[in-house]
Amino acid sequence: MYKKQVRGVLVEGNKTYGQITRDITTTLYAKTPLWWYIASSISSIAIIVGIWAVYTTISVGIGTWGVNNNVAWGWGIINFVWWIGIGHAGTAFSIFLLILRQKWRTSINRAAEAMTVVAVICAGMFPMLHMGRIWDAFFILPYWNTRGPLWVNFNSPLFWDVVAISTYLMASAVFWYIGMIPDFATIRDNTTSVVKKRIYGFFSFGWIGSARGWLRFEAVSLLLGGLTAPLVVAVHSIVSMDFATSIMPGWHTTIFPPYFVVGAIFSGFGMVLTLMIIVRKVFKFQDYLTQSHFDAIARILTFISLIMATAYTTELFMAWYSGAEYEMFTFMRNRVTGEYTMAFWTMITCNAIIPQLFWFKRIRKNITIVFIISIFINIGMWFERYVIVVTSLSKDFLPSSWATYSPTSVEVGIFIGTLGIFTLGILMFFRYLPMMAISEIKGILKKTSK
Amino acid sequence: MMKTNIVGVYEDEDDLVDAIHQIQDKGIKVSDVFSPIPIHAVFEALKLKTRLPIATFIYGVIGVITMFGFLYWTSVISYPLRFGGKPLNSLSFIIIIFVMTIFIATLLTLITFFIRAKLAPGKKINVIDPRSTDDKFLIVIDKENHMTTNEIDAIKTALKESGAAEVNEVTQDVTDL
Repeated sequence: MYKKQVRGVLVEGNKTYGQITRDITTTLYAKTPLWWYIASSISSIAIIVGIWAVYTTISVGIGTWGVNNNVAWGWGIINFVWWIGIGHAGTAFSIFLLILRQKWRTSINRAAEAMTVVAVICAGMFPMLHMGRIWDAFFILPYWNTRGPLWVNFNSPLFWDVVAISTYLMASAVFWYIGMIPDFATIRDNTTSVVKKRIYGFFSFGWIGSARGWLRFEAVSLLLGGLTAPLVVAVHSIVSMDFATSIMPGWHTTIFPPYFVVGAIFSGFGMVLTLMIIVRKVFKFQDYLTQSHFDAIARILTFISLIMATAYTTELFMAWYSGAEYEMFTFMRNRVTGEYTMAFWTMITCNAIIPQLFWFKRIRKNITIVFIISIFINIGMWFERYVIVVTSLSKDFLPSSWATYSPTSVEVGIFIGTLGIFTLGILMFFRYLPMMAISEIKGILKKTSK
Repeated sequence: MMKTNIVGVYEDEDDLVDAIHQIQDKGIKVSDVFSPIPIHAVFEALKLKTRLPIATFIYGVIGVITMFGFLYWTSVISYPLRFGGKPLNSLSFIIIIFVMTIFIATLLTLITFFIRAKLAPGKKINVIDPRSTDDKFLIVIDKENHMTTNEIDAIKTALKESGAAEVNEVTQDVTDL
C-alpha cells in the first residue's frame, strides 16, 4: 500500500468533511440578507414587465411585435436561441466534465445545472409565444385527432425542436434533482429547525447513504450523464437545423450544427463564469471557487473562442469560394458592411477577439477582468444570434422583398421578463437549495488515494 | 418490530475500508456501510453489484423500437402524406428516434432507480446515526437474537481494534419500513 498525490488542491483551507457541510449549508440557515430582497424585487419588476408584454402579445397578437412578412423571426427567435445556448452550460459542465473525470467541476456543476433548467424554461416560452395563437400550441404535439388523424410533420426541424427541448428540459432537471438528493439528506440530518427537517426530509426521498444506495446513485448518475451527453450535441444541432434546412442565404450551410453547438457551450461557459464570480464574491466561497477554477474555465473559453473565430472565417471564406452571389451578398454587403455592420463587428469583437486576452496569465488571474470579459461573451453571443436571424431575412433574393426590422417595446418586454425569471429562479436556488454538491466536494477533498 | 445494530463509527474513509477488510477476515458479516460520500473500495469489499446499466440498455432498445414503430405507423400506415418528395418512411426519422430514445431511457432508468433504491418523496426512515450524512462513516453489523454475549463482545472488540472512534448499539423500530 502506498499513497500518492493524484491531483492539485481543489478545495482550499484544509477543510474537514464537517466544515464543508457547514460552509455550504450556512446560507440556507442564515437570515435572508437584504440584498436578496432587493435583487428579488428587481427581478419581480422585470417579470411584471414580461407579463404585460406576454399579455399584449396574446390579447392583441403578433402584430405588436416588430416582425413583418420578410423578417418573420425577430427577438423571439434570437432570445430563444440565446437562452438555449446558456442552457447548455449545466449539462456541458456536469456531463462532459463528469465523463472526462474533471474533478474541478464539483463546486460549479450544481449552479450550472440550476442555470440550465431555468434558462431552458425561459427559452421554451419564445417559440410558444411566436406561434401567435398560444391556445393552439398543443397542435404541435402528435396526438390522436379527428382530422384523419393527420399527424404533425415528423420531417420538420420545428417539430424536432419541440421533442429535443422537452427532452432536454426533462433530462437536465432529472440530473439536477438526482444530484441534490444526498445533499437534502445532509441538510435533513444537520438542521436544527423542525420545519426545514420536514421539508428537506420530504425532498430527500428517504436517502440514508448506505453503500448499496451510493452504488446505485453512482450508476444512475453515470447512466443519465451518458444518455444526456449526446443530447447536448443533438439539441443545438436541431436548433441550427431550424435555420440550415431552409434555403436562405447565410443559413443554408453545413457548418451550422457544429457552429451552433460550440457557440452554445461558449455562451453557457460565459454565463457560468459571470454567475460563479458573483457567487464567490457574495457568499465568500473563495475556498471552493478558487483561482484555478476560473483559470480552467478561462482556458476552455480561449479554446472555444478560437473555434468560433474559425467558424466565422469559414463562413466568410465559403461565401467567397462557393461563388454563390447571394451568399457573398449576405456576408459581405449585409453583415461585414451595410446596415447591420455594428452587430457583426460586435459579435466578432466580443466572441473572437476579446476572449483571446485569456492567453495572458495575469488577465486570467484578475477576477474582475475575467468577469468583464464574461459579460462581453454573453453580449457577443446575443449579437451572433441577432446577426444570423435578422441579416439573412432582411435582404434575401428579391430586392422587392427586402425589409428592415427593429424590435418593439413588447418584444423587449418579453426579453426583460425572461431575464427576470432567470434571475429570480437563480436567487431562489441560492436561497433554498444547496448551491454546491456537498457530497461531491467531500469526494474530492483527499489529495491522496490508495 | 425492534431491531438492534452494532455500529462502528469511523472518522476517515481509508480507515473504514481497512476496517471492513479486517472485520470480514474475522468472519463477521458486515450488513451495511453508511458514508457521506460514495467509496468504490466499499462496493468492492461488500461485493455489491448493480444491473442498472443492463436495464438502461433494454430501455434504450425499447425506445428505438417503439419510436420507429410509432413513426412508421403514423407516416406509412395511418395517414400516408408525402413531404418534400421524401419517401414516406424517411431517413430523417432518425433524429426523433434518437432524441425520444434518450427521453424514454432516461425516464425509465430514473423510475427503476427509485424503485430499486426504494426512494420516494416523503419516505419514512430511521437514521442510524445522523452524522453519517455529514462527516462520519459507519459499519453496521446486525445484532441477532441468537448471539451470545461473548459473540457480541467479540464483534465490538473487532470494531474497536479496526480503528472505530465509537462503538454503539442502536435499536430501531422498523415496523413501518
